[in-house]
Amino acid sequence: MNGQETKQTLLIGIGNSAREDDGLGWAFVERVEQEAYFNGDCIYKFQLNLEDADLISKYKLVVFVDAHKGELPEGFRWNRCIPAAGAGFSTHQLEPQSVLYLCQQLYNVQPQAFILVIQGYKWALREGLSLKALGHMGSALKGFMTWIDGYRQEIHGLERRKQ
Amino acid sequence: MTKGKATSRKIAIDPITRVEGHGKVTLHLDEQNRVKEARFHIVEFRGFESFVKGHPYWEAPLLVQRLCGICPVSHHLTAGKAIDQIVGIDPETLPETATKIRRLLHYAQVFQSHATHFFYLASPDLLFGTDAPLEKRNIMEVAVANRELALKGIQMRKFGQELIQAIAGKKIHGISVTPGGVHKGLTKAERQFFLDGKAVPSVDTMIKWSLEMVAFLKEYRNKNQVWLDTFAAFPSNHLGLVTADGALELYDGNFRVKDFEGKTIIDQEPDMRYQELFSEATEVWTYLKFPYLKSLGRDKGWSRVGPLARMNVCDHIPSPLAERERQYFKSLTDNKPSNSSMHTHLARMIEVLHCAEQMKVLLEDNTLDKGELVRQGVHRNLGIGVIEAPRGTLIHHYEVDDDGMITKCNLIVSTTHNNEPMNQAVKWVANNVLDGKPEITEALLNQVETAIRTFDPCLSCATHALGQMPLKISLFDADDKLLDERTRD
Repeated sequence: MNGQETKQTLLIGIGNSAREDDGLGWAFVERVEQEAYFNGDCIYKFQLNLEDADLISKYKLVVFVDAHKGELPEGFRWNRCIPAAGAGFSTHQLEPQSVLYLCQQLYNVQPQAFILVIQGYKWALREGLSLKALGHMGSALKGFMTWIDGYRQEIHGLERRKQ
Repeated sequence: MTKGKATSRKIAIDPITRVEGHGKVTLHLDEQNRVKEARFHIVEFRGFESFVKGHPYWEAPLLVQRLCGICPVSHHLTAGKAIDQIVGIDPETLPETATKIRRLLHYAQVFQSHATHFFYLASPDLLFGTDAPLEKRNIMEVAVANRELALKGIQMRKFGQELIQAIAGKKIHGISVTPGGVHKGLTKAERQFFLDGKAVPSVDTMIKWSLEMVAFLKEYRNKNQVWLDTFAAFPSNHLGLVTADGALELYDGNFRVKDFEGKTIIDQEPDMRYQELFSEATEVWTYLKFPYLKSLGRDKGWSRVGPLARMNVCDHIPSPLAERERQYFKSLTDNKPSNSSMHTHLARMIEVLHCAEQMKVLLEDNTLDKGELVRQGVHRNLGIGVIEAPRGTLIHHYEVDDDGMITKCNLIVSTTHNNEPMNQAVKWVANNVLDGKPEITEALLNQVETAIRTFDPCLSCATHALGQMPLKISLFDADDKLLDERTRD
């Protein structure tokens, strides 16, 4: 991936590092930020907000990373984010799908978007990830690196064909 | 929802939607579907007043803002005002630059909070009606139906958030206040970001859009006058801070209370006297307290707070465009206080305009990065801070020992003041909309929420809570047996 392409990538970590495994989203993004191969933009958020529709409209690729409370066979799950018009009961609740929907409706653009969720186990008022969650984060990181490499090659291929 | 049946019933709305936090409403009906009782419950645990005990005083502005992700700036500033006094500084002795920075931070917070409420929470009711299908009453549908309005709403909220970040370092839970001052000023380059319109729409655009929103609501009122004037209208006292000459004051003023007809009950009372003026009652069915004026007692001493109350108690607004709109607002009720809950939406937008005008004044001030930022005097053991937060009068009270450790904390937040008014609003809808209806539909129940939404309650703040409190409506028969329950989460 060339510099310009990777700068068009946004990684959004969602969570709260003061709540044990709820900090998985932030911890993951922090790790990716340290990797030399990744030169996209990274953002850490407690929650998604309406103005994030404006933010993601400026990127070609957006990845939302969050902790997951339920059971995940591989410890993490990687899904394409499909725009959806759902709205929570307060401004505290806004899903990535809704942000993408708003982006599409308001700015007439739809970045490629994915949701990466990583299984967590502990949610108390304490800093630090559980050992199991750390393990899942490592697996998710490997998966992400493989995926972003594939994505990079795919984009390269597309651009070559265009030329 | 629930079909009418010849038996006494209790209905609960749980959670109330499009409010900040979790709440519950219960409605008790008799055999003829007549409303016997209507209550707005907050059922979470209070904790922050205890958490901060034993911590050093300077931690208070940092700790208490964690009460809330919506209005942390208000708690940060109010605690800061109280802690200033612990270090021997009163509002009039705070360094001038620090006062300006705090005011700018406050205007940005009120601006973005009001914009969020209007566009995200309230506009679906106004644009689509309270009887629109549930799936339509949300910001996503507003975006589809009125793209321009939604875009402006997002940009206005973003402007306020960006300004908060520029001053406090972060959009949520940033740090600006330090005992006796602020950590940093605002450089010319930082101010220019909000003035030149290159990276974000300029503050002039914010003023223009605020005027448009006021115009939108005025036109809406013309088309829906009966509904807006009468829905959830009930007589109440109105409480707010004003300056010595009676102007609207959001950062530092004196208490003024007027009754429903405009008679002044208290005026120019210093905020330090809040304990002598107010008391708080409790009820077994809610964790939210009921503040009231001691002089009038529990039954008659409760007051509305927030934009409507502030419009009702002030004599003028020190921003020319907002003052013009205030005069229009007052003309709606022949210069008497408005007791119409739905008028709060217009009052809120007039405050948005006021904040935009004041932000412009401060952003054009070349002294925001000059002069003294922090000052300290002789330490004291008591600090009381009062501010007009977006939702109304917010009071923080701290006492410390000689080592500076907090020994007492009392918080009376805006939504707590509005507890009785919100209960009155729920009763109004119960008596005027639901009473005697053979079938209680979802659309009818939404009107209960519409009434509550006018107050923009911040329920997690109100209970200083941790965790979740979903909104719930339950229906009980004459024997208090649960017949139906709706939960929103």
